[in-house]
Amino acid sequence: MDNITHAATERSPEVAFDFANSHLRLKGESYPEDVAAFYGPLLTALDRWLAGRSGSALTLDIELVYFNSSSAKALMNLFLMLDKAGAAGNSVSINWRFSEDDDIMEEFGEDFAEDLQHVRFTLCPLPAS
Amino acid sequence: MGALAEEYLGFKTILGQKGIIFSFSGYVSEGILFALGDALKQKMALEETDHHVTRKVFSIFVEQVQNIIRYSADRMTGDIGKPVELSSGMIAVGQEGGSFFVVCANMVRLSDMERLKERLDHIKSLDREGIKAFYKEKLREDPEMDSKGASIGLIEIARRASAPIDYDFIEVGGASAFFCLKAFI
Repeated sequence: MDNITHAATERSPEVAFDFANSHLRLKGESYPEDVAAFYGPLLTALDRWLAGRSGSALTLDIELVYFNSSSAKALMNLFLMLDKAGAAGNSVSINWRFSEDDDIMEEFGEDFAEDLQHVRFTLCPLPAS
Repeated sequence: MGALAEEYLGFKTILGQKGIIFSFSGYVSEGILFALGDALKQKMALEETDHHVTRKVFSIFVEQVQNIIRYSADRMTGDIGKPVELSSGMIAVGQEGGSFFVVCANMVRLSDMERLKERLDHIKSLDREGIKAFYKEKLREDPEMDSKGASIGLIEIARRASAPIDYDFIEVGGASAFFCLKAFI
């Protein structure tokens, strides 16, 4: 499966979906003009890569400073897909990185963590810049 | 003083009296959202506004403007070599009593007004924990039919606001209503 990489823009995060090394990364801001056009292909590719997979280890590193409510829905869909992969016998880690003084991102991380049962969801505070 | 300057100075004075820092009225696009949002962040940074406050103002601004873009009943669509969709509305960001506010307004179909009122009243009836729980509930739900996710945008606005959101409608003509939503940060 081909890796997916997009440079960050002012409205969309850097994407590095390195399927070869089972490592996914999203970093930056997320309020794309068209959320479905941005996240749809990522979710489709991940879904195909996960199909029938079991016994794999997979890590998602996510470091967002801002996302709008439409992006939140897309992130939830991404996490639910990973949760399902965890339930299917994969070892899935999600690292939620946020600035230690960013209460909003910390709370979002806690909220997502509460909703997922089959992944290791780790809150990773970073030193405030 | 000429009549032209007098007229527009009067307009500017009214905006100033309402504490409005900047405002926009007319057809909105995602490009306008980005440009206005960027100017808003820059202005708040220049004034050394607490970045937590800036972030909440920006978040409410984005959700409010996207509500206009998605739901305004006054819109134009067409093709000028590329598909174009423009939605009409009003956006104002200001300060009142030491707090920032974001007001957005747009026309809605009268037939949509009751449902929107119900949603807003429900959100207004919730406390902080209730708002947070409702947000989580909506995040897991499939998008409602013919809604591109309005509820969650409204909940995000309520969640970032420092006081209950304020809204109002005035019926205009036979089939439309003018809808305003104000959130303080």
